[in-house]
Amino acid sequence: MFHWLEKHPFFFAVGVFVVIAYAGLIEVLPNFMEKARPIKGLKPYTVLELAGKEVYKKDNCIACHSQLIRPFKAETDRYGQYSMSGEYAYDRPFLWGSKRTGPDLHRVGRYRTPDWHANHMWNPKSVVPDSIMPAYKHQFTNVADLETAYAEAVTVKKVFNTPYGDDIKPGKAAFEKYKKEKILPEALKIAKAMKRDDLVKMVESGKVPEVVALVAYLERLK
Amino acid sequence: MNGMVVKGLVLAGVLIVAILVVVKQMHIDLSDPVNMITFLGAIAIAVLAFGVAAKYMQQMKTDTATGELAEDTWDGIGEYKNDLPAGWAWSFVGVSIWAGWYFLFGYPLNAYSQIGEYNEEVKAYNAKFEAKHKNASPEVLKEMGESIFLVQCAPCHGETGDGMDGKAHDLTHRIAKEQVLYVLKNGSHNFKYPLGAMPAGLAQGKDAEAVAEYVANGLKGKAPAAWATCAGCHGQDGTGNGGQAPNLKAFDATLIHQVLTHGKKGVIGQMPSFVNRFTPVQEKALAEYIKTLSSDKE
Amino acid sequence: MQSNAALEYDYSIVKLFMWTTVIFGIVGMAIGVLIASQLAFPDLNYLMGEYGTFSRLRPLHTNVVIYGFTLSGIWASMYYVGQRVLKVSLLESGFLRFMSKLHFLLYMIVAALMVVTLALGITASKEYAQMEWPLDILVVLTWVVSGIALFGMIGLRREKTLYISMWYYIAFFLAVAMLYLFNNMEVPTYFFSGGLGAWYHSVSMYAGTNDALVQWWWGHNAVAFVFTVPIIAMIYYFLPKESGQAVYSYKLSLLSFWGLMFVYLWAGGHHLIWSTVPDWMQTMGSVFSVVLILPSWGSAINMLLTMKGEWNQLTENPLIKFMILASTFYMLSTLEGPIQSVKSVNAIAHFTDWIIGHVHDGVLGWVAFMVFAAVMHMAPRVFKREIYSKSLLEAQFWIQTIGVVLYFSSMWIAGITQGMMWRAVDEYGNLVYSFIDTVSVLHPYYTIRAFGGLLYLIGVFMFAWNFFKTATAGRRLEQEPRYKSPMA
Ligand code: HEC
Ligand code: HEC
Ligand code: HEC
Ligand code: HEM
Ligand code: HEM
Ligand SMILES: [Ca+2]
Ligand SMILES: [Ca+2]
Ligand SMILES: [Cu+2]
Repeated sequence: MFHWLEKHPFFFAVGVFVVIAYAGLIEVLPNFMEKARPIKGLKPYTVLELAGKEVYKKDNCIACHSQLIRPFKAETDRYGQYSMSGEYAYDRPFLWGSKRTGPDLHRVGRYRTPDWHANHMWNPKSVVPDSIMPAYKHQFTNVADLETAYAEAVTVKKVFNTPYGDDIKPGKAAFEKYKKEKILPEALKIAKAMKRDDLVKMVESGKVPEVVALVAYLERLK
Repeated sequence: MNGMVVKGLVLAGVLIVAILVVVKQMHIDLSDPVNMITFLGAIAIAVLAFGVAAKYMQQMKTDTATGELAEDTWDGIGEYKNDLPAGWAWSFVGVSIWAGWYFLFGYPLNAYSQIGEYNEEVKAYNAKFEAKHKNASPEVLKEMGESIFLVQCAPCHGETGDGMDGKAHDLTHRIAKEQVLYVLKNGSHNFKYPLGAMPAGLAQGKDAEAVAEYVANGLKGKAPAAWATCAGCHGQDGTGNGGQAPNLKAFDATLIHQVLTHGKKGVIGQMPSFVNRFTPVQEKALAEYIKTLSSDKE
Repeated sequence: MQSNAALEYDYSIVKLFMWTTVIFGIVGMAIGVLIASQLAFPDLNYLMGEYGTFSRLRPLHTNVVIYGFTLSGIWASMYYVGQRVLKVSLLESGFLRFMSKLHFLLYMIVAALMVVTLALGITASKEYAQMEWPLDILVVLTWVVSGIALFGMIGLRREKTLYISMWYYIAFFLAVAMLYLFNNMEVPTYFFSGGLGAWYHSVSMYAGTNDALVQWWWGHNAVAFVFTVPIIAMIYYFLPKESGQAVYSYKLSLLSFWGLMFVYLWAGGHHLIWSTVPDWMQTMGSVFSVVLILPSWGSAINMLLTMKGEWNQLTENPLIKFMILASTFYMLSTLEGPIQSVKSVNAIAHFTDWIIGHVHDGVLGWVAFMVFAAVMHMAPRVFKREIYSKSLLEAQFWIQTIGVVLYFSSMWIAGITQGMMWRAVDEYGNLVYSFIDTVSVLHPYYTIRAFGGLLYLIGVFMFAWNFFKTATAGRRLEQEPRYKSPMA
């Protein structure tokens, strides 16, 4: 049979495809039947947090940080409660990572604070003298892309029924309104908690520095 | 044994010994089952991969290629009709049987839960831990507290507990003047002591200065007049009236428990809550350790 | 098998891909050495502002070495081996010749855009699938064109029976196509929000645990079908060809191939052990990974046995050295991977540098060695010139071998130490080490790794020089060498 296949490339290719495809079906599909179930009380990311998640992706923190606490005593002692599937229901994409050059961050919001992050992102060595994490000073001047984050909220609300309020709707005007009423006040709170006047000033002028969005996101990781 | 194989195994051996030396330097307990299995795995990888490759390379030295050639050739490449190497074929069969057994009977589909295993492990551990250390001596507690502190608290308070240039509370000292002034100005509602929150404005201007100076200095010397107000809640000696309000003179176990449970927001910044992260014994241990950091004594 | 008259093959496309192999090899591995050095000496993060941090550069390293260097090498060999074992020349079909050039052109466009977008931080953030949706479309187009060229050659073949290498090229094409499509299902946000924000931004179709499952179904098999399957295609051609030996056993080739196809796809779960995917899927990933040792070792053993009785070639011909060492490292990484898939071992190995060590056993010792050997075997034949320097090739082999050994032994030590320190408890059951302790201890090993990487990179420069001189200044050959590549 195999020798016959080797003379008939079309059937050979079909054979290979069947063998590789059905393993995929069995491996991946069953989990989809159960859909993504958010745990009780889980709220979708705010637009500011989404913007922060984009900063996390852009500066690629996932290169060094995981967001998955495994069920071992050594990990729960270090980082807190082990991670549960339903906590990730709004994570598109998932950001578990595959390497811990730095510590896990899945619950970092519970044991670090905005002012600590402000010190740490500006210069990690100022709080952890031996740190090998790069300083991310550019995040203090770069402006976060709130519009794209808002677009993401609109999209996931529409396409995946992510439970956002009615004020998340398409269009520039809706965005501007939402930004003024929701995003900027939230950002101001974070900026103040970070105890840096330059950040507060920037937010007050209507621009959210990347680091403020990022810290909003990190604070959300609980 | 022949030369190639010996060389392969020597290479594997050197690597394994190097790992062993480094790991031992870090005081790793290799009798822990997970550590042990990992270590055996590393040995298996190095020995088998280098050993088997070396065995076949040895065959390049000694054997000759034989067998019946197939009819086809491709761009001058021929193919022998040799049989499967027996070791390989039997291993394949054996491993496949093992896999089927493991999946269907050894670790049946729904009979195992990693979370279940975790829960049991932690429960058993905690029970043992609390029982063993219920009446631990201060020395033991202090040592225990130090290691928890270095893992959990040092990123903010610094390894020596000095607060790293004002980034967090300087734990070598009970409280600083500006912190007291801040509380007098803003009140304090962090800890949920029996007396509840402390209202703002209990002392102002010069009085505040004087009382803050006095508290920051460890309540030494003569108390300023305004201290009388404070004494009502914090006690004449400032130690907190038996847990009704914070001890202002020195760190004590109650304060540590309250701050770990509720966190704190003050003039320096914010301290997160560590509620449910530590067992009672661990909290006591932290308190014992923090007491030794500071020169202020009750 | 009608005609035995020598065919004139068209190597113009092969040459293009060979050049890009060399260039991407240098760029990708230079970045590799830089990021390795950054972990040892963090001040190196600040050479290029926000574009120079470890985190921004890391995906550039992985993407350039995988999709630049490795794929170029694979495609150069696919067009070369394809024509020869199928006995068909691209000169015979204007259409296929056009397709092959279009393939290269599209590929260059994707590669350029990939480098620019990743440097700017535009990323979907899934490992080995970082490109955003507009690039995905170009990737799919490129892939389809490459498939037309591949199956076009097969369609025109004179050699009725497919040689083993072709089996693997076919599987490479099909599997990557399937996996890439599913893992890159994304919803562009611009179109659903009334034209807000960046037009190239998208969100994944899958969320959380489901996303992880699809991602590692892809991630694991991207490794399988880019770093393994086409590389096996290459060794099955270049080793017998360079040595003049017949392949040891058809049966072993056959069982290894179908065994690999059958088992590989199931093993992706080993990237998700102890995660939140259901226990049975983790167990499945773990068990199938162990089975996978055998089909993997089957090919490696077949190649080693092909050289039976030919020890002299191993000592005399550096290209044979490269390929035999590649087989050995293939065995090493396909035993290491399965053992890292055992649940208890994974509890320690996952998230540590031991995985990075495993990765580079495979890519440096197996993938890149095989690519170097293939390019150097093809060079005298496509340029009709002798290899410029045998001693340079020999020196490259040794310097890179030392580089790989330093890389993986340092990462083994680093990873195992780190993994054990993370879970070490004192006599009271409390964690012994703060996280930063487990970072500081790695400094010497990060330094050794960077040094090993530097040696490897020096080897790449030797290779590039040798290749360049061969193409431009090697002694001209009258006749195509039959087996052993001539070298000065
Ligand atoms: C080169 C690796 C590296 C990169 C890239 C990196 N980090 Fe880190 N990170 C570390 C290390 C090592 C530590 C532990 C030492 C320290 O606290 O600085 C750490 C610690 C942290 C912590 C403190 C967590 C804790 O439990 O103490 C946070 C928060 C953090 N990083 C966030 C980030 C963010 C956000 C980014 C991306 C913008 C990032 N890191 C990029 C290596 C890195
Ligand atoms: C009505 C009772 C009351 C009086 C009077 C009072 N305190 Fe307090 N004080 C408290 C309580 C209760 C707390 C803890 C509040 C909390 O939960 O944060 C507190 C907290 C504090 C703290 C913060 C301790 C820390 O570790 O953060 C300081 C400092 C302090 N008091 C100083 C004073 C001084 C000085 C006076 C006198 C001028 C004074 N208090 C008078 C009840 C009182
Ligand atoms: C994210 C940073 C952070 C971490 C982690 C942290 N602390 Fe703090 N802690 C602070 C800051 C900031 C303050 C001072 C708040 C102020 O007074 O403004 C503080 C204050 C304190 C105080 C003084 C409370 C008082 O006012 O009397 C104690 C005691 C303390 N921390 C203990 C701990 C212990 C024990 C741990 C570890 C289990 C810990 N902290 C972890 C930031 C932190
Ligand atoms: C000079 C040679 C090289 C050096 C010094 C080098 C260095 C590195 C470093 C430092 C990392 C990051 C590790 C970490 O995050 O801790 C890395 C990751 C990676 N490299 Fe290389 N590399 C080299 C060559 C290659 C080659 C040739 C390939 C592929 C053909 C490759 C593929 C990868 C992959 C796939 C990863 C990601 C691993 C993971 O995420 O688990 N590297 N490399
Ligand atoms: C039998 C074959 C193999 C098995 C079972 C296997 C298994 C594994 C395992 C268990 C991991 C680590 C997952 C984790 O804990 O993070 C891993 C990672 C990896 N392996 Fe393998 N491996 C095999 C062969 C190979 C080969 C031959 C290569 C390359 C040439 C390779 C490249 C990689 C890469 C790049 C990663 C990193 C993925 C990431 O970014 O996390 N593997 N493999
Ligand atoms: Ca990875
Ligand atoms: Ca994509
Ligand atoms: Cu894998």
